[in-house]
Parts: sequence; structure tokens; C-alpha cells
Amino acid sequence: MKFIKTHVSLIFPLMAILLGLEFFIVFDRTTDTFEKNLQNGYSMMVVSKDEMSIDDFKSWDKHIEQVIELEKVKILERLQMTKEDEKKMKFQDSLPNFYSLKLDGYLTVPELEKVKSNLEKSDNILSIESFQSAYQSKYELFSFIKFAFQTFILFMSIISFFLILKQMEVWNFLHAQRMKIMEIFGASLFLRSKVLINMALIDAVISALITSAIFYVIQNVWVRGSQMDILRDNVDAMFAFTDILILLVASIFVVMVAVYLVVVNVKEE
Amino acid sequence: MSNVITANNLTLSYDSEEEIIKNANFSIKKGDFVFITGPSGSGKSTLLKSFYGNLTPDDGALVVGGLDMIDIKKDKLQELRSHLGIVFQDYRLINEWTVEKNVVLPLWISGYSEEVQKTQAKRLLHHVKLSGKEEKYPMELSGGEQQRVGVARALAKNPFLILADEPTGNLDEYSSNVIWDLMENACHQLDTTVVVVTHRIPMVFNIPYRHFTIDENGSVYEIH
Repeated sequence: MKFIKTHVSLIFPLMAILLGLEFFIVFDRTTDTFEKNLQNGYSMMVVSKDEMSIDDFKSWDKHIEQVIELEKVKILERLQMTKEDEKKMKFQDSLPNFYSLKLDGYLTVPELEKVKSNLEKSDNILSIESFQSAYQSKYELFSFIKFAFQTFILFMSIISFFLILKQMEVWNFLHAQRMKIMEIFGASLFLRSKVLINMALIDAVISALITSAIFYVIQNVWVRGSQMDILRDNVDAMFAFTDILILLVASIFVVMVAVYLVVVNVKEE
Repeated sequence: MSNVITANNLTLSYDSEEEIIKNANFSIKKGDFVFITGPSGSGKSTLLKSFYGNLTPDDGALVVGGLDMIDIKKDKLQELRSHLGIVFQDYRLINEWTVEKNVVLPLWISGYSEEVQKTQAKRLLHHVKLSGKEEKYPMELSGGEQQRVGVARALAKNPFLILADEPTGNLDEYSSNVIWDLMENACHQLDTTVVVVTHRIPMVFNIPYRHFTIDENGSVYEIH
């Protein structure tokens, strides 16, 4: 019972940190895809007097990555003008040039305004439509969710870290006497810490495996069967086998720091 | 005969505050049995601690086993300690380890094989009359038995020097006599140097010994 209690009281806070880390990794991966989709779905509309190349646009702002010219013929088709229409050619010649601009990333609203103001400096550009209000509402919602989630993970990690420190005090109490006796008889630091290191490593491996199993189950049972498109679309981002390695390394790192803190705090009597 | 411990103008204190041992001069030779006595708080245990590097001298010189204890490096200190046998009044056994594992602690630290450890444990426990208690835990033994485990641990690696701090302080007369017999034998038969801090020298002691005493001012004298 004592053995289980000793292990569980380290495994739980360690798992809380690992869950936080894995949630962060999954969230980052998922939002990265979402961010790319938002970026791909967004374009800025520009109207210019004369034709402009991508280099012309880039000379005004470096964030412009791709330029798609909207063909005038298609615009006329939309206006339901026939080929026979005599006025068509004249009208076509008098039409300005329309461009759809793609940006190099998902920019913040102030960054977007900066791009717009840079382009407005060109005498050739007649009008710019940035669809800022739609962009802004999506961006703010996205930023808010990201911020809330990251704050929650940070808060959870801080509490877990304090729980681990508390557990270290218990470890210190449990192992200090043995380590002091061993030191008197000439044991090296490694030998003195060996029991503690073994125990911590076992707990680290158990915590990493349980956390991985939780995410594997979430991915394959809950997310795959979910009715929500956003979850189903990101099912592969939920858990990757490389995550086991990341969790294991993180877990071992945390416990080794903890062991070190215990060992250096044991002073010879 | 070569000196095992040499002190020249040795001064000891905790945190360089009040000096506990002042300008002590003495030498202890191989095979000596030394009692250190003195009133409570005179610095007997402090002096003993300096012999195994638990306390660094403030001034003077202290050489133990050929090593200067003032500038001793950590690895040298570990090596020195692995060749010492130390016995404490409060036994200092590892309670979560069995008697056998406690006895062979110095051998385990020095990396001896499990086979050697088993053989030595059996021999030592027979020597301290605790055969059959290998798998017991310290808390299952009486105070006298625990101290015998402590002595067996101190003898495990045939140390050149045994340091004992009030080894019979918590024991009844019978258990005390057993411990003194073991110490006498270690000194007489194995030619091991033994230094014992005690309040009272036993009435019956069968081998020659030296007697150091520390007065209330921290001065160390040898009584002839």
C-alpha cells in the first residue's frame, strides 16, 4: 500500500504535466492546420489601373506571396454580356485590372492594416478590399481560444510542478537518512541516488505510457467516432507515435531535475 | 609502528564560531585501542567526526590514513571512508533494508560480487552471534542486536580503523559487554586501530588501551 502510494503521488502530478504538454502539442498541430486553412481561404482584392506583376506587389509589401489575376472576360460573363455585344470590347478595355492577393501567413489585424496601407501608397492601385471584418472575427475567436487553452495548460503545469515539489519533500524525508548513512560509508553520489533514480525512472516511464495510452484512446475511440468535422479532419494530429518519445524524454527530464533537487538538499549530519 | 591518525595543533569548530577542540596534539598508531572520554559537550564526538571527514579542521593539521583532512578531495574522502568502520550510538542502520544487506553495505559500495557479499554476511553475522537473522529488518531486532549489526557492518571490509561514537550508550550491561568483546577482538586479532568515544571506560577490559580525555576548554590530554 505504502509502495503504491509513494508511486502514485509522483505519477499523478507528472501525468498532469505530460497531459498538458501533449494537449499543447496536439493543439499546436491542429491549429497549425486550421491556421493554414484560414490563410489559404483568405485573399485580398486589389483593383489597379495598369497590369501589375507579383514583383510590383512585393515591392510595396513583403507579405504578398501569390497574385492571381481575375480575367476580365469572366467578369464580363458575370455581367451576362454576349460576345456579339459591340460595347463589350470598349467596356473590356475600360475595365481596370482585378487581382486576388494571397499572403505569406495568417497575419494579425494590425499587420493586415499595414499591408493595406502599404499598397495604398501605389498610385497605380485604385481600390483594396481586405475583408477585414470577416477576417477580424475569425482571427479574434481563434486567438482567444488559443490564449485560453495555453493559459489553462500553463496554470495546470504550475500546479503540477508544485505537487511534484511537495512529493520531493516526502522523498527527501524517506530517503535522506539512507543517503546520509551511505555517504558516511563512502558511497558516491550516483550510488546514493541509485534507488531514487530507479524509482523516478519507473514512475517517468509509467506516466509517459499512461498519458500516451489516454491520447491513443481519445484518437481512436472518441475522435474517430465524433460527429464534429473539425475533430474528424484532425484525427491524425491527435496523437502520433513520436509523441511517446517526446513524453518519455520530458517525463525523464522532470523527474531527474526532481531527483537532483532531493540529492543536493541532503546534507551530511 | 606507523601513525594512523596524527593531529598537530588541531582546532575544530562548527561554522568557525566557538572553538570546540583547541590546539590538540596527538598521534594514534596502528593497532592502538583508544578511548576518548570527557564531560558532555566537551567535543568528543566532534573530534571523532573530524577523523572521517564529517568536519573540516579550522586550523592545524590532521592526517588520517596518510591523507591530509584539511585539503582532502571528495573522491579521496570517499575512498578513505570505504576503508573505515564506523559505529554510532543510534546504530544508523537502513531500516528498509534487511540485516544482511545492512551488514554488507561497505562491500556493496565497493562493488563486491553478490557471492562475496553473501559469504561475508554469513561469516560476520555468525561472528556477532546473529546467525539466522539475515532476512530480519532492523526494527525487528532489540537495541543490542541492532548495535551488533552495526559492528558487523563496521568490520565488513576489514577496515584499518574503526571509529565508534558511544557504541554502548543505549545498551544494557550484557549487550555492552558483547560489543566490547567484538571491539577487543577486532583490535587484538586483526590489528585494527580502534578509537572509541565513551562516557565511561568498561570496568573489565582485556587488552591494553590508551586513554585520551578532553576538558571543558577543548584541550585534549592523554592519561597515562
